[in-house]
Amino acid sequence: MPKHDTPLMDELEKGPWPSFVSDLKRQAEKNPECWDILGQMELSYKDKITHWKHGGIVGVFGYGGGIVGRYSDSPDKFPGVAHFHTVRLNQPSSKFYSTEMLRKVCDLWEKHGSGMTNMHGSTGDMVLLGTRTEELEPLFFDLTHELKWDLGGSGSNLRTPSCCLGKARCEWACYDTQAACHTLTMHYQDEIHRPAFPYKFKFKFSGCANDCVASAARSDFAVIGTWRDNIRINQDEVKKYISGELKAGGGIADSFGAFDIKKDVIGHCPTGCMWMEGGDLKIDDAECTRCMHCINVMPRALRPGVDQGATIMMGAKAPILDGAQLATMVIPFVKPTADNDFEDLIEVIEKAWDWWMEFGKNRERIGETMQRVGLPSFLRVMEVEPIPQHVKEPRCNPYVFWEAAEVEGGWDRDIKEFRERHKM
Amino acid sequence: MALSIEELKAAILEKALNGPKPQLYLKDFYACDPDSKPRVIKKAANEMVTEGKMVFWSSGSTTMYAAKGRAKDEESRGT
Repeated sequence: MPKHDTPLMDELEKGPWPSFVSDLKRQAEKNPECWDILGQMELSYKDKITHWKHGGIVGVFGYGGGIVGRYSDSPDKFPGVAHFHTVRLNQPSSKFYSTEMLRKVCDLWEKHGSGMTNMHGSTGDMVLLGTRTEELEPLFFDLTHELKWDLGGSGSNLRTPSCCLGKARCEWACYDTQAACHTLTMHYQDEIHRPAFPYKFKFKFSGCANDCVASAARSDFAVIGTWRDNIRINQDEVKKYISGELKAGGGIADSFGAFDIKKDVIGHCPTGCMWMEGGDLKIDDAECTRCMHCINVMPRALRPGVDQGATIMMGAKAPILDGAQLATMVIPFVKPTADNDFEDLIEVIEKAWDWWMEFGKNRERIGETMQRVGLPSFLRVMEVEPIPQHVKEPRCNPYVFWEAAEVEGGWDRDIKEFRERHKM
Repeated sequence: MALSIEELKAAILEKALNGPKPQLYLKDFYACDPDSKPRVIKKAANEMVTEGKMVFWSSGSTTMYAAKGRAKDEESRGT
């Protein structure tokens, strides 16, 4: 039986799509505090202001992340959500769960919280929505001892790393994203659970440039699979796509009309490095940017090369201080491997962290610090030689600045000798 | 020369107790000992949370540190 009249919320049940309001009403039959979620949201819709108070000192002993405090500003009207803290669980790599574990975590959450979940938060965690302060420690005890499951990151911590399906399901994965994600999650437990940084820091691992976890847009440290050698071409399969025997893009391209390799593949190559010659598809691989478009369209005919690894990009973020920005390519190619516990990644991460912890301002993402000091300075910190791929666009500033080390003799000179040649 | 971990903890607590703001960013404690690396200061501050002398205050996106009793929880804050 509804506890509150919610005509505005009820509107969100109309239409053919799933409704979180219907989900809340169903859960409220089991857990009546969910009526107060609906009641408070109805009031927010009427008042056009949130009635949540966000943040606080709640948490579990020894951890400085994983719990986000949330309270109602109208606890008398909505006692069921007077406390409504959020709990973030560290999802398994690629979000591969067994149904048994999902049932266990749902049972645990109905025991200690509202039963409402968010699958998943934008960082990647499984999010458990709504519990009281006194339930946090018992929940954490059961979670860690019975389910052997841990909290994720929040606040100024390393956030829960996430990865694409990787080699588990995808033939295009150029390195083992799941192994990288799991290894670095275990290696950086202290940074996930205890705040160390000026602001949040996110790792994301994508196996190829399709970037299924959107690491280039959403993470401070994106590791994106790529290859150094040539795209593998099977010319017989190329001909089957051209003849229509094979459906381009797995058939999805049919909705755009008959397949035309010149229009749909060659014409969409961002660097124009492909052409047809005597019935064969040719690629100038030196000009290829490894964008994956041609491979996506003709997966039976084209495959990534065999000399595989990853590109490291840094500094993406959503708009907080300085607008949204995509990641900047920092290191064009590394070979991340479990054979050395991903030490090639760890070395880069720690160099960036040491610098950002010292020079980053409070609430400044590393991408903002990079932007503030400029890419040349950041590359010097990272001990990376600039290459043309670091240049976003040709400079429009006519001044060229040199460091003393870049000039023969530095800034020291014999002024008398100079004036003999350049009279005043 | 950098302070010992116990000297550093004392300096951090002094700042947390007597600073004008009840909640401080980790970076605000760097001035307690310019010779200590940020990671050492983080370690000291986190140990003090475990010892019950300091608490974390988190908005969800950012985390700050406060001397126990100085930070107010959102529950007690008015709207």
